[in-house]
Formats: sequence, structure tokens, C-alpha cells
Amino acid sequence: MKKTIAHYVSDLSKGIKALGIGLLAAVLIALPIIYPKSYVMGVICRMYMYMILAGSLNVINGYSGQFNIGHAGFFCIGAYSEAILATKLGLSFWIALPIGGIMAALIGLLVAMPTLRLRGTYLAIVTLGFSEIIRLVALNWEGLTGGPIGIKGIPSPLFFGFKVSRSIHYYYIFLSLAALFFFITYRVIHSRVGRAWLSIREDELAARSLGVETRFYKATSFMYGAFWAGIAGAAFAPYFRFISSDMFSLDEGFNILSMVIIGGQGTLLGPVVGSIIVNFLTEFLRPISQYRLVVYALLIIGMMWLRPQGLVGASNSILAGGVVKIGRHRHTPTGAAAASGAASGAAPKGGR
Amino acid sequence: MDYYISQLINGICQGSIYALMAIGYSVVVGVVGLVTFTHGEVIMTGAFAAYFAFQFFGNNLLLGMVASFAASSFIGIFVYKVCYEQFFDAPRHISLLLTIGVSMLLKNLTQILIGPNNLPLLGVVENKFFGVGVVGITLVQIIVIATVISFSLLLFLLFNKTRWGVMLRAVSQDKRAAALMGINVRATTLAGNCIGSGLGGIAGMLLAIYYQTLIATMGGSAGMKAFSASVLGGLTDVPSAALGGFSLGIIENLGITFASASYRDIFAFIFLVLVLLIKPEGFARKRGGVRP
Repeated sequence: MKKTIAHYVSDLSKGIKALGIGLLAAVLIALPIIYPKSYVMGVICRMYMYMILAGSLNVINGYSGQFNIGHAGFFCIGAYSEAILATKLGLSFWIALPIGGIMAALIGLLVAMPTLRLRGTYLAIVTLGFSEIIRLVALNWEGLTGGPIGIKGIPSPLFFGFKVSRSIHYYYIFLSLAALFFFITYRVIHSRVGRAWLSIREDELAARSLGVETRFYKATSFMYGAFWAGIAGAAFAPYFRFISSDMFSLDEGFNILSMVIIGGQGTLLGPVVGSIIVNFLTEFLRPISQYRLVVYALLIIGMMWLRPQGLVGASNSILAGGVVKIGRHRHTPTGAAAASGAASGAAPKGGR
Repeated sequence: MDYYISQLINGICQGSIYALMAIGYSVVVGVVGLVTFTHGEVIMTGAFAAYFAFQFFGNNLLLGMVASFAASSFIGIFVYKVCYEQFFDAPRHISLLLTIGVSMLLKNLTQILIGPNNLPLLGVVENKFFGVGVVGITLVQIIVIATVISFSLLLFLLFNKTRWGVMLRAVSQDKRAAALMGINVRATTLAGNCIGSGLGGIAGMLLAIYYQTLIATMGGSAGMKAFSASVLGGLTDVPSAALGGFSLGIIENLGITFASASYRDIFAFIFLVLVLLIKPEGFARKRGGVRP
């Protein structure tokens, strides 16, 4: 096939993109060497962790259009799994990490199961209740979770015999986990599964009529999100060295939710932007930390009034009240979404 | 056996509070047509309003009720203005997230203004005990049950015997048709929202009197229970919601005879999940209109 100018341009833009990602990776990898201040490293570690948490919540809320508002519950399961396995059984971090994720995913399936046939509201209240229940169990099951005292002295992971103990070392763990998360999520979102998730968000009825097994894909989306929240929790436990049930309150779930909303639901970049902004705010508001959640609440309300698609979302997104128009989204990966738009015509969305 | 009977009575009493919360919730959801997550905070506001009324004006129950109804209705107006008024035609998740934002805001503002600790509320009702054979009941329990029953009756009369009630029911069934019949839909929706919120506030006062304590974070589990109970009626049917509240209270109090009392809130969750598994659309007859 003869190459046209358009091909060269697209090759060039691909090259620029690859170069950009490479440069970003180099800067992020070199950052601890350039600026090895432990306070800054700690803040950035937390930012990476919240990027995974907000990103995984975004897969559930933003991409497949469900409502999970108790994400802290899965975070909690991951953290407690890792902590219990590491302190009681002496299991290595690298084995306990995926187990934490798998535990969260399995429990996520159990939580999502009763509401798969229903509208998102029911899932919202079930996840809200579940998050509170998990905290209660962690608080009261003293034999396993240490009760109100929590679990202390969670051992640091060993990396080929090298003890990972300082923030700078954890920086690389969190960086690689976040990079892995975004890489896999990017691939999943641009696969058949991701298109199915998007089609459920855009119009569940149309998706089902086009042969998308909506219950299966809703469950997988929920499990995928819960899995990564569990992974984030399992990485958090040894980093903080101590966990207790009050770290995983409903407020923590709202905190994660506000990151997704501020950044923009249904975009890969949204949770990144959201977690950076919210974490900066957290540091900035440290002298008046009791007002922190009031500020987040006002931000959520403000965002919903002024820019419901979030800072980086597109204004024609269905999350902003837009309607999918036929033939406008051809080049986007949301082929299924465009198809569902075609199937339902210009029917009003969002259950008017 | 005595223990179980007394737990059953406790269950009925608590269940009646849950029933009032659920009635309020169903009225709000039915009339507005959008699901709310602020009901727990509305209940909490009612409890605190009653607390301050008792502090400043003495232990007058009637005054407490007026205060909590007024305060919660005011919060209801605030919620309506912020979360619903502009968003009836927008995608549902916007108003849903707005109610979550407002509930966060109210909870944390209360925590800052009043403090994060439990406040005691003692001696509002005399500590009297009436015993008939093995059945014993306290004065507080009688007052709670009587209040709930009278408010339910009032609501029933309002809904079924007045012009206002017909308007409220019409709006909850079909807003467009109601508008065509010359009903002021916005005003009626606002009024229904205020009534539902006010009932939630009175339930909050009863909760505070019954437990003799109140805390800024009480809204979380209260809202959860209101929701769980009203799921029985598909979130909008008032009588089924009341039934759901009673069964929830009884299940809870019989449940904690087998498990520790610190697991109390788990039973509401199990109840919710069971109802969703068995009959997710609720047990009420469908009477048209929106399903939130």
C-alpha cells in the first residue's frame, strides 16, 4: 500500500506520543534521585496510591456507569488481607499483594451480585452499607483484625533480599503499580470488554439488545475495580506499617469519589488529575484539616453544578448530559457506544 | 423467654422509629422522583434541633417535635434547591452525586460546629416502667410508638382526605400529567420534600430520646436503615416502607440476641440484601409513575 502524507503525519504523532511517554517515565523514575526529600516522596507515594484507587473507582463509575460510593471497603479488604497474611502467616509481600486484590475482587462480586439486575441506586446504597459493615467487622473481630487497636508492625517487603523501608523505595513500588494499573486499564478499556462496559453506561437496554451480556460485564467491571482497590490497600498496609479500622471510614470512600468527580469520570486522565488536586489540597489544608471534607463536599457540589463531566471530561459526554450522536464518534474507541446511540436514536438518556 | 419478649418489644419500638424514617424517605423519593442520600443527615439535623430545643426551653416534647420538624424541613428546602430543582431533566447520577455531596457537607459541618463526640440527652422522658406479667414496657417506648402512630395517621389523612394530598399523590405518579391538570408541580414537590424531611427529623428526635445520646455521624446508619426499610416498598410506597421499618427493628433486636450488639448495623444490611435478592422491585403494587 502506498503511504500518503496522512500516514506520515500519524506516524509522526505516534512517535511524539511515544517520546512524551518515555520522557515522562524518565522524569518520574529520576525524581527521587533529583529530589530525595522524604516528605515530598511520602506525598507523591500517597498520590500514586490514590491514582490507583480513583482510577479503579473510575472504571466502575465512569466507564461502566454504575455507582460505587463505598470504595474504601475494598481498599480496607486489601489492606487487612495483606496485613493479616504478613503478620500472622509471615507471607511475603509479593504473594500477599495479589491475594489482597483477589480477596477484594471476590467480595466485590458478592456485593454486586444482588443489584446486577437493578438500577445503579441500589448498588450505591449496597456499597455504602458494605463499606460501613466491613469497617464494623474490622473493628469488632478482635481475634483476626486486632479490633480497635488495629494491626501494628506490618513487615516491610523484601525485594531480592533488599529491605524496602524508606519512602524513596516505596516510591518505586507505588510508581510501578500505578503504571501497571494504567497500562492494563488502557488495554482493557480499548478491548472488547471495555467497549461492552461503555455500551452499558451509554444505554443498558440498547447494549443488551445488541447482545452484550450486561450482567456479566457489570460484574466484571465491579470486580476489576475492586481488585485494584485491594491491590492499593495491600501496598498501603506495609507502607504505613500500621492499619486500623478508622482509616477506612465512609469519608475515605467519599474522598476517593471526589477525586474521580473532580478529575472527570470516564476518562483515563481524570482520576490522575483529581488525585493530584485533592492530595495537594490535603497538604495545603493540613493546618485546618477538619475543614478538608467540607471543601471536598463543596467541590463535588460545585463540579456537578458547573462541570459535571469533570475537569478533563468532554462536554458532549453522556456524563455531562450529552446525547450520543450518530456518526460523530467514529474514530473513538467507543464503537459500541456509537452503535448503541444508533440503536436508540436520539432517545433521552439518563432515565428522564 | 422473658428476654426474647422484651427484645421483641424493643424491636417494635425501634422498628416504629425506623418506620417513621422510612415513611419520610418514601415520601421524599416518591414525590421528588429522585433518590436521595441526604436523609440520614436530615434525621441527624432533627435530632440536634430537638437537643437544642430541650437545652434552651426545657424538656417539652411538643416543642422538640416542632423544632426538629422545622429544622429538617429547612434542610429539605436546602437539599431541594441544591440537588433537585435544576436537575430534574439531567442524567440521574448528577442529582445522586449532589445529594452525596450535601450529605458530606452537612455531616462534616455539624462535626465541626458541635464536635465529634457523643452528646448525652438524659431525662427528657421520665424513666418509668410498666409491667404486665412478663411483658414490660417503658414510658419512652410508649411515647415513641404513640408519636409514630399519630404521625402516620396524620400523614394518611393528609394524603387521602385533603386536596393537598391528592396533589402530592398526583405529582408522585406523573409530573407531566399533574402539570397538565393545573397543579403547581415545583411547589408541590417542594412541599412533599419538606414533609418527608420533617418526618425524618421527628424520627431523629425519637432516636435521640430513645438512645439518650446523639452524635454528628448518626446519619450514616440512620439513612442506611431508612433506605433498607423502604426498599420493601420499592422505595416509594409508604405503607410497605412502614412495614419494612417494623420488620427491620424486630430483626435487628432479635438478631443481636444471637450476635454481639456491636454488629447491630449488619442486620439492616442483610435485610436489604435479602429483599434485593428475593423481590428487588419491592412488595408494593405498581401504581404507575417513576421507579427511582
